[in-house]
Amino acid sequence: MAALVAGCATSGVKNPSGVPVTHMNADEQGFVAGTGVESQDLVMVADKMSRSILGVPQIANAATPPTIVLNPVDNQTRFPINKDLFLTRIRYQLNSKARGKVVFLARNQMEELEKERNRKREGAVTASSDPSVQEFKGADYFLTGSLQGLSTRTKAGTSDYILYDFHLIDARTSAIVWEDAAELKKQGLEDAAYR
Amino acid sequence: MRFFWQPALLAVAVSLAGCATTKKPAVALTGDIMVDAPNAIANGPTRDRVLWQYRLAAAAMRQGKFDLAKLNLDDALLTLGGIYGKDKDAKKSRSYFHTEAKKTFIGEPYERAMAYIYRGILYWMDGERDNARACFRSAEFEDSDTEQHEYAGDWVLPEHLDGLATAKLGGDGSDAFKRAQANAKGVKLPPGLPEANALFFVEFGPGPTKYATGQYGQELRFNTPASPVASAVLKVNSLQIPIAPTDDVGFQATTRGGRVMDHILGNKAVFKSATDTAGTVAMIGGFTTAAASHDRTAQEVGLGIALAGLATKIVSAATVPTADTRAWDNLPRYLSFASVPLPAGQHVVTLQFLNSAGQVQANLTKTITLNITTTDRDKVVFVSDTSVTPQTL
Repeated sequence: MAALVAGCATSGVKNPSGVPVTHMNADEQGFVAGTGVESQDLVMVADKMSRSILGVPQIANAATPPTIVLNPVDNQTRFPINKDLFLTRIRYQLNSKARGKVVFLARNQMEELEKERNRKREGAVTASSDPSVQEFKGADYFLTGSLQGLSTRTKAGTSDYILYDFHLIDARTSAIVWEDAAELKKQGLEDAAYR
Repeated sequence: MRFFWQPALLAVAVSLAGCATTKKPAVALTGDIMVDAPNAIANGPTRDRVLWQYRLAAAAMRQGKFDLAKLNLDDALLTLGGIYGKDKDAKKSRSYFHTEAKKTFIGEPYERAMAYIYRGILYWMDGERDNARACFRSAEFEDSDTEQHEYAGDWVLPEHLDGLATAKLGGDGSDAFKRAQANAKGVKLPPGLPEANALFFVEFGPGPTKYATGQYGQELRFNTPASPVASAVLKVNSLQIPIAPTDDVGFQATTRGGRVMDHILGNKAVFKSATDTAGTVAMIGGFTTAAASHDRTAQEVGLGIALAGLATKIVSAATVPTADTRAWDNLPRYLSFASVPLPAGQHVVTLQFLNSAGQVQANLTKTITLNITTTDRDKVVFVSDTSVTPQTL
């Protein structure tokens, strides 16, 4: 009797003792999963793209490292995401694993960079080189991409297909010199209580 | 005789000893959503967390507290997006002896769609048109698996905004515009003008709530009260734009058809009824046999049958077929939208709400001062008939 009553005290409470923090690799699926874009997808896609970019002849055989500007990714799926994560991880992969092969330009910081240059020109701060000389670099290539999705929901469950497409555009000619894609499909079915 | 009653007493004792600590204490409500919701989210049952986040987000949007709305919708949508697979509480809610409300609340499809619509508006406010479009697509997706297929994916505004976001992003939004017009049931939608930089999301009227009917409250029903507001008029500069409803949230709540859970609750109700009847018959039969007989064995058999009947009645009493009537109860009845191109500068906008006779409800009129610094970025305005006024954006 006592055991039964004691056993009842925490019944109905999910994980009454809590769940300790679980360290996971970013490329593995956790116990919390949906059919949308998740960290393991991001890692897989970014790794594939950064490896693929290094094989482009215009980059692999360039006499001087080409300059690249990241342009925003176009999210056409049904999942709102921080799409900058993809480009950030590709940039980080290329900068850390293939240092010197490409140079990324911080165009998203242009406003602050121009302010700093103007301060130097005005003599408000010191300068290690002649600030009147234009040294901001132009882009050789633009790296951008899109996420496109196809979603289906039936009584059998939910299915989400996402095509991750990235391409490198020659800023001088507008030619697409490289393009690669990754695709993922996920399916799931919620408990009948939610259907 | 003692032999029969000991197990029964034990069962009663165990059930009465019940799970006194299984539930968090009820959160005291003040009637002020801005107080109650944060309190319930922090201290209330986890299964109601999303419900309160929905309510708080809607209230926050009407008070211009858009960061608070974002915070709560993001967390709620994380729960909503991760419901696939096994869920212990959901499983319990399907069992005979637990109420449907045992499951984590994520809302019915119309409520889920509204969460995405609100989040989409907030993304657009932040200049993230593609993420806004993603939310509008998810809103439509939530409505895509209806029992009655003619009502599948039939929201108007999410389709229209999908088209407008696509057009503004340089794509072809015509398919989405066509779908929106087809869903609009005869209402002529305004053209989706990519050059219109002032976007007005308008909502009005009280939205649907839920109640349960049937012998055991096993049938989920929706109540949509009459709206004192039927349309609106937007006045800015010399423009006067009539705003008719594009979507009726009450219609969306009531046209989805039956749920799988309705069948489960129906089965629970049948089980409850059948065990109750069987228990009654067994008890009457057993006690009658025991009373009428002078034979000790027959008396014991009779009491045994009566005891079995009692046990069956207890099982029946413990069966809970009640439908989950938790509802996002501060949703609006109608949604609508207007867009106009406005030059940079300050503009005073007036939004009047009209009743079904076309009369202005003066106490609901809103005034918004818009400061447009650039025409390259959309100025997104969210106005409810319950919004605070005046606002400066």
